[in-house]
Amino acid sequence: MSLLSLAVLAPVVAALILLLVKRGAAILALLGAGTGLLASLGLLRGAFLGNAPQRLMLPGLPDMPLRLEASALTSVLSVLVATVATFVLIYAVGYMRKDPEKTRFFATMLLFVAAMQALVLSADWITLLAAWELIGVSSYLLIGFWYAKPGVASAATRAFLYTRSADLGLYLGVFLLIGASGTSEISATLATTGTAAMIGGLLLLVAAIGKSAQVPMQDWLQRAMAGPTPVSALLHSATLVAAGAILLIRVAPMLPPETLFIIGLVGGLTTVVTGLIALGERDLKRLLASSTSSQYGLMFLAIGAGAPVVALLHLIAHAAIKSGLFLGAGVFQHERGSTAFERLAGSGREHKRIFAGFVLAALALAGIPPLSGFFSKDAIIAATMNATGAGWLATLAIAGTVLTGGYMGRAMAQLWQGKVEEAKPSGSLVWMGWGMAVLVTLAAVLGAGFPALERLLGAEIDTTLAAEALGLGAALTGLALGWFLPADRLLGPLLPWAREGFAVGGGMDNLVMRPALAVARAMNAVETVLYEAVFVFGRLNLRVGRGTRISDEAGIDGFIFGLADTMVRTGQKARRLQSGLIHRELALTIVTTGVIAAALFAAPLFY
Amino acid sequence: MIPIVSLAVFLPLIGAVILLFLPGTSKAVSHGIGIGFSALTFVLTLVMWSRGVVPGGFSQVEEVSWIEAIGAAYRVGVDGLSLPLVLLTSLLFLLSFVYQAKSSDRARSFVILMLMLETASIGTFVALDALLFYVFFEVSLVSMYFMIAGWGEKDRQRAALMFFLYTLLGSLPLLLAILGMFLASDPYTFDMRIWIETQPLTGIGGMLALIAMLFTFAVKIPAFPVHTWLPAAHVQAPTVGSVILAGVMLKFGTYGLVRFSLQMLPDAFASAGMVVLVFGVISAIYGAFVALAQSDLKRLIAYTSVNHMGYVVIGVAVAAMAVDPAMRAVALDGATLQMVSHGLVTGALFFLVGMLKDRAHTREMSHFGGLLKITPVLGWSFIFFAFASLGLPGLAHFPAEFQIFLATLNISPWAVVSILAIVVTAGLYLRAIGLVFLGEPGKEWLKMPDLDGREVLVLIPLVALTIAVGIVPGIVLDTIHTTTTSLGF
Repeated sequence: MSLLSLAVLAPVVAALILLLVKRGAAILALLGAGTGLLASLGLLRGAFLGNAPQRLMLPGLPDMPLRLEASALTSVLSVLVATVATFVLIYAVGYMRKDPEKTRFFATMLLFVAAMQALVLSADWITLLAAWELIGVSSYLLIGFWYAKPGVASAATRAFLYTRSADLGLYLGVFLLIGASGTSEISATLATTGTAAMIGGLLLLVAAIGKSAQVPMQDWLQRAMAGPTPVSALLHSATLVAAGAILLIRVAPMLPPETLFIIGLVGGLTTVVTGLIALGERDLKRLLASSTSSQYGLMFLAIGAGAPVVALLHLIAHAAIKSGLFLGAGVFQHERGSTAFERLAGSGREHKRIFAGFVLAALALAGIPPLSGFFSKDAIIAATMNATGAGWLATLAIAGTVLTGGYMGRAMAQLWQGKVEEAKPSGSLVWMGWGMAVLVTLAAVLGAGFPALERLLGAEIDTTLAAEALGLGAALTGLALGWFLPADRLLGPLLPWAREGFAVGGGMDNLVMRPALAVARAMNAVETVLYEAVFVFGRLNLRVGRGTRISDEAGIDGFIFGLADTMVRTGQKARRLQSGLIHRELALTIVTTGVIAAALFAAPLFY
Repeated sequence: MIPIVSLAVFLPLIGAVILLFLPGTSKAVSHGIGIGFSALTFVLTLVMWSRGVVPGGFSQVEEVSWIEAIGAAYRVGVDGLSLPLVLLTSLLFLLSFVYQAKSSDRARSFVILMLMLETASIGTFVALDALLFYVFFEVSLVSMYFMIAGWGEKDRQRAALMFFLYTLLGSLPLLLAILGMFLASDPYTFDMRIWIETQPLTGIGGMLALIAMLFTFAVKIPAFPVHTWLPAAHVQAPTVGSVILAGVMLKFGTYGLVRFSLQMLPDAFASAGMVVLVFGVISAIYGAFVALAQSDLKRLIAYTSVNHMGYVVIGVAVAAMAVDPAMRAVALDGATLQMVSHGLVTGALFFLVGMLKDRAHTREMSHFGGLLKITPVLGWSFIFFAFASLGLPGLAHFPAEFQIFLATLNISPWAVVSILAIVVTAGLYLRAIGLVFLGEPGKEWLKMPDLDGREVLVLIPLVALTIAVGIVPGIVLDTIHTTTTSLGF
């Protein structure tokens, strides 16, 4: 078995065994994810050694086989997914220890990991599309994991519907690209140029906006926090939401400048808007969720500035940082039974080591050297300063950086300031602590690996002193503001609006869902009319039939509808109904014969 | 040489006749005969499947001359379009008999009716003689009529009347079209193979015949606005009746659309393709939205059939308009596979709604809540098939709808607006899942039993095939593709 298939299949097989034997959930999950990680690392090693990319072809649709490929880019992504997944699962062993439905939890997580691996390793559009939708469903199942709780079902439904609406962009983009190039192989369709490339790119952007929770579809991600914390850490920070950015990074070579600029604008707008939302949040997990949208906005900015590899670096740094932050949040939640800042105040001082990890990751996200986020964020600022439309893009990137510092400073302040409660000793903290420690360490030191990655992906990234100074200044300003000033001082009149998620016109609910339901009701009204009309028509015929029978015995219509009438009146009992029907068949035969005869006589007219 | 195809057609009828002349048969014997004969028929269709199809025509043809003077004969055979549908039919009948085995409501008459209906259904798909096709087509309606009228729900009289009206109005135009084709053929024949090869009717005659056929098939499919019999029939029909109606009988319409309208009148269909396409698009979108507005679970699923069959109409219409043969094959592959997928998935959904109704005696979604905790097997099965029905990749509908939409965007781009319906479908299924299965379990349902062994047995083959077709669509598509790439026009 090749490493390529192992990376995808190991989690699937583990999940299937788990569903069959229904025990040893944690061990099987770690085995499956761990094996997948080893396979991914093997693929990456191959890429570093300069081996030819591994490929796999499976029968799919006629002339459109399913393909997987481990190129340099896809191997890097595969390792990223497998690493985060493995350590989040280690953490989940502790977090889910007392949950009675561990089997379902770990099986769904493993299925998600497999789908995500298929997505990053896909080399044809059908595999990508299939994996894309499957991660959406896994997300639905995981957000809805505690489905009996109030509000959970609607959060899961909302997440799935938002992303599926946006997925139409992916469907249409894929149809367009396959039609234009005559093949479903991704690398071949990237040669598309002209209008097809521009429209195709914009359609893919729509799908990416949905998955990466960009403006105006940012709302579902915050509500997705109804699921268990490991789900938030894995899906809603490092993998599922990454799908949108990954898609755009992969198709970036095809995109014309107009499309790129629009992508940059969407990203810039998102990073500012969701940054402000994060600043006004009163709940730690929801703050982190908004921050995720905001960081993906920065990645979209980098892609729009023509630097997809920079976006990839920030994606990698963010994956480690954000999953680390979520795992920290999960520990505090585990202790205090809530993620509202009101309940969490002071919890940082109860678990100083966990809080230290949280701070390290927070500083990395803000972009403080020498932590990983510093390198990627500066590269983004540098890229936007050199891009066309730099005035717009660079301003938005710097604003996003200030905001990042701001909301992370605020989160740290909220956790640190406040009363210390009696700490309960908890055995599950060991697993949770180790899972978090590894991710935070990665968040801190990953920057050192970036030059090697840049060489592997064949992109030299030059950053300027100006960009570094600007980025660092912005980050420090933000951190200071966030730590010292309360949210209402920072946001001023914007605060209430930010707390509503900057919903324009009542948000997507008012703009899409209600109209859709109204259309459904209107069409159902039409349907009722149509439905009743047929009965009216039927009764009318019966009446005409009666009339005809009186005036003209031989009227075929009257005969047949009269019979039907008799049947309806006498058909109360099945037996009599059936005897009535035999007459009906007789009548039908007579009518049919009449029509045949008429047709035969009319036949010469056809010649 | 054993006439396998004819045996597969008439074996159920033989079973029905045996049962008819066995006096005073018990419930168990009746059901035993039903299961036995349908199982044997299923085996025969598997043999047919193993023999396969040939490119550019029909295989496994069996022929007996009948009325030579008018060129009518008994002719049966299969190609890549009909063979998957034959297999689907025999499978769904077998599962229906298994599902029905616990019922004691006039078991003997029910089994006789079902066996007759199976003969008519398989016969419709394998008939290669237009008169024979018409006879099977009509007989199936009669059997279904008795099933709804005799075993339906409270309001079956109304549904029966509606079914009657549509039967009368719906089938006659097809007969006229068949007569037109007959009179135009030289020498006179009802041989469908010759009609496909020579396409005897052209010009205005061809267009008139096409219009007549389209009317009949639109009622059968059913397409907007002549679909209203479908929800009425489904709501009143017994579970098994709904499974066969949705899983098998709706395909008569789309099968006829390809076999008669497209293959015998390709030129007329190409010029009228846009009209058909418009009706397909309206059906797909309208069906989805109306389904979203329903509160009765069975009615909801009935309307999703209008949506799914709308996609088939779209696929066939764009195939008729296609200039590039490769794209036409994609469209027809998708349309045909969609018929099979819809049979598997919607058949299963109707079984599940029946199982729910057997337990709760209601199908009103708002009456339920939290059933996933109480009946996990039923709940997860429903969620599985709901996701299959909304077109989840890896399950049966995805490859079919992917091909249909791919071809549509490249042949008639505007019609791809119908893809909006896949979001609406997702919304309505998630809403149904949320209302019925998620949330806090309702007190009155706490004692509801989960699925028993027989019920699970009914679902397992459908689950397996839904996954298999989704992941390796080639197991069905290879057969379909053999025919769609070798159409003679």
